Amino acid sequence: MSSLCCSSHTSLHHLQKNLYNRNGTITTTPFRSTSSSVKTTGSVSYNRVSAVNTREQEMVLEAGIEENKKKLQLGIAEFYDESSGIWENIWGDHMHHGFYDPDSTVSVSDHRLAQIRMIEKSLTFASLSEEASKWPKSVVDVGCGIGGSSRYLAKKYGASCVGITLSPVQAQRANALAAAQGLADKVSFQVADALEQPFPDNQFDLVWSMESGEHMPDKAKFVGELARVAAPGGTIIIVTWCHRDLRPDEESLQPWEKNLLKKICDSFYLPAWCSTADYVRLLETMSLQDIKSADWSPFVAPFWPAVIRSALTWKGFTSLLRSGLKTIKGALAMPLMIEGFKKGVIKFAIITCRKPEDVEGE
Amino acid sequence: MRLLTHNMLSSNIRGVVNGFPLRIEVGKVVEKNVEMNGDFLKNMFVKIDWKAFVEASQSMGYTELPEEADLSMLDSDEFLNRFHHALLELHLEEGALVCPETGRRFPVSKGIPNMLLHEDEV
Repeated sequence: MSSLCCSSHTSLHHLQKNLYNRNGTITTTPFRSTSSSVKTTGSVSYNRVSAVNTREQEMVLEAGIEENKKKLQLGIAEFYDESSGIWENIWGDHMHHGFYDPDSTVSVSDHRLAQIRMIEKSLTFASLSEEASKWPKSVVDVGCGIGGSSRYLAKKYGASCVGITLSPVQAQRANALAAAQGLADKVSFQVADALEQPFPDNQFDLVWSMESGEHMPDKAKFVGELARVAAPGGTIIIVTWCHRDLRPDEESLQPWEKNLLKKICDSFYLPAWCSTADYVRLLETMSLQDIKSADWSPFVAPFWPAVIRSALTWKGFTSLLRSGLKTIKGALAMPLMIEGFKKGVIKFAIITCRKPEDVEGE
Repeated sequence: MRLLTHNMLSSNIRGVVNGFPLRIEVGKVVEKNVEMNGDFLKNMFVKIDWKAFVEASQSMGYTELPEEADLSMLDSDEFLNRFHHALLELHLEEGALVCPETGRRFPVSKGIPNMLLHEDEV
């Protein structure tokens, strides 16, 4: 009963700990009480760490986790340093999915409008007011890419927007685009970690995370930071890829599902996936209000075939060849995304909520 | 990095009680003209920590701001111009932001602060 966890993950009894495992998924839902039996998933086995591991074993685990986290951060930064240029070249300055009519056939020329529609639909879903007096005045864009959302929101609301990214290349490009669009006064970009946001508490009227949650290795910490920096009465919007919700009788995804996700994780520098329900539960534990979520998978499904088609054009193909191995590896994972959506394993989710006006104990 | 941004940043190193404001270590300051937007300035005024803002602008070499300010001063064009200039037109291109409690330097390079923490600071 004393088998050690492998170096890439640790106890599952506490959501704050790394929920990584070899297969790239979280295999237990939050707050489920740990059983005393040993569960095995493939070559991995784990048990109640607190009952069995010595302090030394725990320190080894901690060191392993920190190393993995550093590797992941570096991987993400380098992936985007390398890929940002080609992406912007073909798709423009928004790096997120477009919102489409299901079953439509999408071309590159439709994409930009669809990406803007995605932003607008998200704001509407979160019940942000159209009345100017109620507009957010300060916005943080968590995982800002080259700043497409920040610039859009700054223009729409006349707000001050701050974006954070792990990629210095992206931050540089984001600032340059802001200056070029006459928005240098309103938006600015920093290199920072979404899990350790360099802001005091209660700062932002709107906390925006558009397709960055997938990169966060510690979902609880990620959501905790979003909640911390939100101003009382402020809105949090998370648009992200999740895996399907587990059925009540399920402990984890099926092995074939985990396999599929793992391949995608390796290509896109993604840590463990969680479900939409997991996010909702996290927000509930932080006493956030008006929590809403939805599955928008049908509205983004047309996107990946379009990406593949663009990669197969002369421009797309030559750009890929010029970019680098990381980008190419990412591109090869595109059919996997299609498969994941088709088979209902991958969900494109929106989760929004509000921070209460009265904040006690801050 | 403009002072508007500086006024939003803080040090979140583990154990630090108050990481705001970050001290500014100047390497290179650049002035970039930006069109003034009165409504935007008014919105930002209520969010700014004025004391930290004045200190920061002084470390950037701009000493024209009053030590204290209130909303009524926004009616004065002269004040508005100075506020606008210090908030949005002074850029720290090279230098560092320094944690007020630990002295840890967060480098600013090409105008971009790098706020990533090291392993032992988390």
